Amino acid sequence: MSGSRRRSAKGGTRPPWVIVPPALLGVLFLLLPTLALLIRAPWSGLAHIYSHADATDGVDVGAALRLSVICSLLATAVSVVLGVPLAWLLARTRFPGRSLVRAVVTMPLVLPPVVGGLALLLGVGRRGVFGRFLHDWFGLSLSFTPAAVVIAQAFVAMPFLVVTLEGAFRSSNLGLEEAAATLGARRTRVFTHVTLPLVVPSLVAGVVLCWARALGEFGATVLFAGNVMRHTQTAPTGVLTAFQASPDEAVALSLPLMLIAVVVLVALRDKWLQAAVS
Amino acid sequence: MIDFAGWVDTGGFVLDAALRAEDGQVVALLGPNGAGKTTLLRTVAGLRALDKGMISIGGEVVDDPGRGVLVPTERRGVGVVFQDHRLFPHLRVVDNVAFGPRSVGVDRATARRTACSWLERLGLTELARRRPAALSGGQAQRVALARALAASPRALLLDEPLAALDVQTRAAVQGELRTHLRGFAGPTLLVTHDPIEALLLADRIVVLEAGRVAQAGSTAEITARPSTPYVARLVGVNLYAGVASGGVVAVDGGGRLVVSDAPDGRVLAAVRPSAFTIHSGEPQASSARNLWSGTIIALVPLGDRIRVTVAGPPEAYVDVTAAAVAELGLAPGTPVWLSLKATDVTAYPGPVAS
Repeated sequence: MSGSRRRSAKGGTRPPWVIVPPALLGVLFLLLPTLALLIRAPWSGLAHIYSHADATDGVDVGAALRLSVICSLLATAVSVVLGVPLAWLLARTRFPGRSLVRAVVTMPLVLPPVVGGLALLLGVGRRGVFGRFLHDWFGLSLSFTPAAVVIAQAFVAMPFLVVTLEGAFRSSNLGLEEAAATLGARRTRVFTHVTLPLVVPSLVAGVVLCWARALGEFGATVLFAGNVMRHTQTAPTGVLTAFQASPDEAVALSLPLMLIAVVVLVALRDKWLQAAVS
Repeated sequence: MIDFAGWVDTGGFVLDAALRAEDGQVVALLGPNGAGKTTLLRTVAGLRALDKGMISIGGEVVDDPGRGVLVPTERRGVGVVFQDHRLFPHLRVVDNVAFGPRSVGVDRATARRTACSWLERLGLTELARRRPAALSGGQAQRVALARALAASPRALLLDEPLAALDVQTRAAVQGELRTHLRGFAGPTLLVTHDPIEALLLADRIVVLEAGRVAQAGSTAEITARPSTPYVARLVGVNLYAGVASGGVVAVDGGGRLVVSDAPDGRVLAAVRPSAFTIHSGEPQASSARNLWSGTIIALVPLGDRIRVTVAGPPEAYVDVTAAAVAELGLAPGTPVWLSLKATDVTAYPGPVAS
């Protein structure tokens, strides 16, 4: 049978030979550096690095990791509070300048984060266009504080949540919302009891993507919040500092970030990402 | 009571109709796809606004663009059963049914009791803890009805509630629906394209064609005197439009019919397909006053009969038994004679132009 020759043993299509070498090379290209990091990790000294705050090189691994986790969670919370309503508005309503708003929302996705950081500094920094009023009137100075870390992370990460949810709101079943209205549900109740529960898979996917992006944020953070140990230094910015003096600490900072990336991938692949994509 | 007199332009298609459903009455909105049935129902539900006209439910004006009145869906008190059930997939059956009471501020325990009593009334108690995904089509539609009724609506709107069900389930749900619609005190609007469903469930039928009311009346009136070819086809009778004069109708498009009793002028003449007698040659002696010849175009089995289409003029649908088909050797292309008694033709005043 000539037909059986076209099929590989496991049922897929047999690839043309030109496809295989580049594909293999691609996998190695992505895999080998990560492997190298695992090979060079100071496994026996890790416990010591994590538990002893050695600050002589300008990096406190424990403090940086702690700040990273706290700030990225706060940035995710801010993104949810602001991003979910924004996504709904973009998906469901028509207002003048909507496409402009959408462009503004998606811009941080393509903007180099360091440019975003500069924009934040010039906008809401102590001497910034708007920030100076915060400082003059309320004595508030955001730049180079832990709050700036949260703001920088939210600025860069929120679009992931908005874009994911906007698609979900747009494609969700309006018929169910109509049914809820015929049952006497006011708009707020329809939103909280029908619309929102139905986009939970996308919401989870968006939150996870947003949080992962916030956790890894470097460029905007370093410009807007700085890289001061035990104050605004996060794991990614700490990696840069540690790398110069004590590479082992850089690896120790990187390992948790890698672990989280793997967990995120597994979590998304299993359920939520498929639900969000379909 | 639902009082509808409205005009809606859905970009090219215009719905322009008036109808009324009294309390306790089931009015079927019958018509082909695209006739505007669902559009009309959606305006009553408040899911679409009228462009002109007025809708009132239970004496309250809910839509009147002329006076700027538009009551939103959630305050109209209309229970809607959609064709695709639209149960909330994330809620269990009991919570779906309790959704209506909960939405108007009833506390959790009371709403649940209300839901359970409705589920019991519709014989659905054992499904209470299931999710909609675990229901069959018939079960889902029953739950959707329970959900609509549990919100204690002022009016009930059913949008092709049985169309998505298979034939056997449909018959079962139809019977139950009949019982529950009888028990509903308010007015009911039933959208359907199935004449049997309309006849079984409704007290009155409003036939909608191309956005306009083609005919409205009791089910008996509609079946006896259809006023458009569409309605005639729905109720399964031959309908001829023509001009009557002295008991003879000159049928538009050729042919004539002797009738026992007809007003002069434009008339419609209805003939049941079983009223004809079919002959293989010209009958020598027949008391029938109508006799004409034609060629068979098609034969279609229809239950225990066979429906024969005979090209006229005038063209006729004739129901015969399978035995007659064999005996007379009927086949497409066969020339035959048709006879028909004058008393089997019902003639009544029809539209001025056909």
